Amino acid sequence: MCALSRRAAITAAAALPALAVLPPARSQTQPASPPPAAPAALPAEKPLFGASLWTLPNGLTVVHAENRRAPVVAHYVFYSVGAGEDPAGKSGLAHFLEHMMFKGSPNVPSGAFSRRVAREGGQDNAFTSRDVTAYHQHVEATRLALVAGMEADRMASALFPADEIEAERQVVQEERRQRVESTARGRFREDWDAAFWGRQHWRGRPLIGWPEDIASLSRDDMLEFFRTYYTPANATLVVTGAIGREALEKLAVADYGGIQGRPAPYDKGRRNRAPAPDAPREERLMRRDPTVQEAAFLRGWVAPTLTGATPSEQAYPLEVLSHLLGGGQGSRLHEALVQSGLAVSAGCGYDGDAIGTGNLELFVTPRRETTTAKLEEAVGACIGTLLEKGVTEAEVARSIRQLTAGTLLALDSLGTAPRILGGTLATGLPLEAIEYWPARIRAVTRAQVEAAARAVLARPSMSGWLLPEGAA
Amino acid sequence: MSADPNAPGFSLPIQVVEGGGFTAWLAEDHSVPVVSLAWSWPGGASLDPKGQEGASALAAALMTEGAGDLSALAFADALRDEGIGLDFSAARDSFDGSLRALAPALPQAVRLARLAMTAPTLAEPDVARLRARAIARARQSLEGPRGRGARAFWAAGYPDHPAGRPSGGTEESLAALTVEQLRAALGRHLRRGPQGREGLLVAASGAITAAELAALLPELLGALPEGAPPAPPPLPDFRQFGTQVVPVASPQSFVLFGQPGLPVDDPDWEAAQVVLRILAGGGFTARLTRSIREERGLTYGIGAGLDVLFGQSVLAGSCATVNARVAELLGVLRAEWKRMAEQGPTAEEMEEAVAYMTGSQPLQFTDSRRTAATLLAMRRNGRPLDWLERRPARLAAISRGQATKLAARLLVPGQLSVTVAGQPEGL
Repeated sequence: MCALSRRAAITAAAALPALAVLPPARSQTQPASPPPAAPAALPAEKPLFGASLWTLPNGLTVVHAENRRAPVVAHYVFYSVGAGEDPAGKSGLAHFLEHMMFKGSPNVPSGAFSRRVAREGGQDNAFTSRDVTAYHQHVEATRLALVAGMEADRMASALFPADEIEAERQVVQEERRQRVESTARGRFREDWDAAFWGRQHWRGRPLIGWPEDIASLSRDDMLEFFRTYYTPANATLVVTGAIGREALEKLAVADYGGIQGRPAPYDKGRRNRAPAPDAPREERLMRRDPTVQEAAFLRGWVAPTLTGATPSEQAYPLEVLSHLLGGGQGSRLHEALVQSGLAVSAGCGYDGDAIGTGNLELFVTPRRETTTAKLEEAVGACIGTLLEKGVTEAEVARSIRQLTAGTLLALDSLGTAPRILGGTLATGLPLEAIEYWPARIRAVTRAQVEAAARAVLARPSMSGWLLPEGAA
Repeated sequence: MSADPNAPGFSLPIQVVEGGGFTAWLAEDHSVPVVSLAWSWPGGASLDPKGQEGASALAAALMTEGAGDLSALAFADALRDEGIGLDFSAARDSFDGSLRALAPALPQAVRLARLAMTAPTLAEPDVARLRARAIARARQSLEGPRGRGARAFWAAGYPDHPAGRPSGGTEESLAALTVEQLRAALGRHLRRGPQGREGLLVAASGAITAAELAALLPELLGALPEGAPPAPPPLPDFRQFGTQVVPVASPQSFVLFGQPGLPVDDPDWEAAQVVLRILAGGGFTARLTRSIREERGLTYGIGAGLDVLFGQSVLAGSCATVNARVAELLGVLRAEWKRMAEQGPTAEEMEEAVAYMTGSQPLQFTDSRRTAATLLAMRRNGRPLDWLERRPARLAAISRGQATKLAARLLVPGQLSVTVAGQPEGL
């Protein structure tokens, strides 16, 4: 039924990736991001993208990676701001503002941005995550100056026309209904985050915002947010594809160099966020929903990440642990829950490049005949055994092999390189963290995996159930 | 790909490669060390006997869960240790295989694909595991307005044909499938002949030469038994069913709309693509997006297009809106349908749409899997080798008169069938 899932370009494709599905959309096998762990000598292997990076006098970071496969370029601007920066009581502001960025700037009338890009055979879109907001276009290579000029125009001074805010607010509310309110799993995911971190904590609020907050966001809120965070020093321009470095240097100066810079609001990797709790606020969350057909179980822990002033040494080992524990067939959870017949599926996710704090999360779809008690007992036993007896060299070697085997496949698409480069650099991580990610994963030892497991899994966790009405 | 950006259109050189009695289309490209292959047989879920819905889909999924002397885990590890993607699936009207591998892993990928096609184990524990997963997915797909609506829409449009049944099966049909029935589903499809639209089709893209591909084809497919899949049951016309409401507890209704489309070999096929880009295509330029999303804030996204099945197509689209505004949305939708049917596109809209469709061609060939899938789709639709190369010229030649005439033929407001899943008000 493929055509019915085809949406207008802005839909499903990119925005707000983690909202609607139960297992959070997380990179488990993709080059996620890495820390400047030890200042070890640069690995001898070839960098993944061969990217180079420089900074304009106004503070704009420019990243370039050449790829001559087709006569096309990808042009991305990442701002180091996301839903995590929404002010208290104004959740959804970063995302609503992203929608309004298509409503005109001094030299580009409302709606004309996408129209001009399409007229030139290009595709454009944008997305908002908790940590970054990105605007992007894919175009035939000779059209790069056109899109760069328009992007720079709205970076300098987007207009946020007052008479277009109300219709767009309705669009955002419809987006919220579609992603969250019309599905039991979307509602449960939102309840889970709120219970885990706190309903008004920056980590516990939905990226798209609470409906009452969306209803009250004003044009002044947008203007202030834009003035604070949308400035060259807080942005990363990534251009990949059929263009040489010199040509991009000239173009970046010509189009973006003249934008008057305000100082960066903060360090890109640290932000000014309130501290995150070091353990979940609740122990349990139970939800029953008459529309649910299949139960879902979640168990989560707070986990450290690569970002910030002191990148966690446990981040790479946790990526390996996550694969070893819940990376499909052959993983601990798959064996204990799926092979044993207790569950239909089981997996593990870890957002190792999140700013401020991360989490490690198990997600299970039990078989109908499995009781909640029985499933939780099996999960508990699996974690208990891991903590008590550790992991084997063979398991660690297998996970490292499988995590890194397909790294070069990242070159097999136009959008992957700029997304990884921009998404990582905009959270304050160094370029080497991407270019040499496989080497850093390969350096992880069994002892490190065990230490990371103890540091995270031995701490308090939260368990949650989404159950059909009337289930045991 | 050696495309000249100054050329009027994007050119993608396609080679026709023969080896061991098999023919493949190849878009060779050594810029990235990756190879993708895609192949397919006609049939798919449409060949599942009544009561055995989901047999082809479940059997396809089981092909990579143990084969030859490899257990399910050993097979999965063999793939993942080298980053190989290998996938078999059954759609409404086809049974498909695909693989993607880094060039050094290609021999291993081909060996595993051949094993999966010629010696799948279908061991009882693996059948039980995947059956449970398929049943959970079938039930889960009916949890919200989206899944419930889609199920009802297709069932109403094709009440007496497999196209109206869920290709992944239902809880009941999946629970009753036997291993023999699953083997029979594989046996219906996995055959080596004849080459062409009635049988096996193959396409490839990426870092592989014509000679290497010629040698690979018999490796991959040579051990398949003779014969071809049986002909699928003929597809009746999409039935018009008016407006159908599927009650689902939800603050927002999911709306599907559709009517009969055109066969893929209709001479106006591309004129239809132009008209539909203008009326209901992606991005922010389409009339439906402007009037329904941008002007009225009625939905997050709306789009429609020709959904191809069995060489025919259904003009189908969807969107979602708050229950209280469903009637308003349908009113605008019907008015836009009617306006395009009566007046056709403007000259400016035509020019913009053709510019997009021509200019965006190179963007469709930046990913080896997508390129292989595109070549395969061209073969399934019976397109000639120079189809892409001549496309800009064909698009440029479509006159406003032709598009307007086509719009009147294609868009019939009275034929628009609508499924609303949710708790719509005022219908």
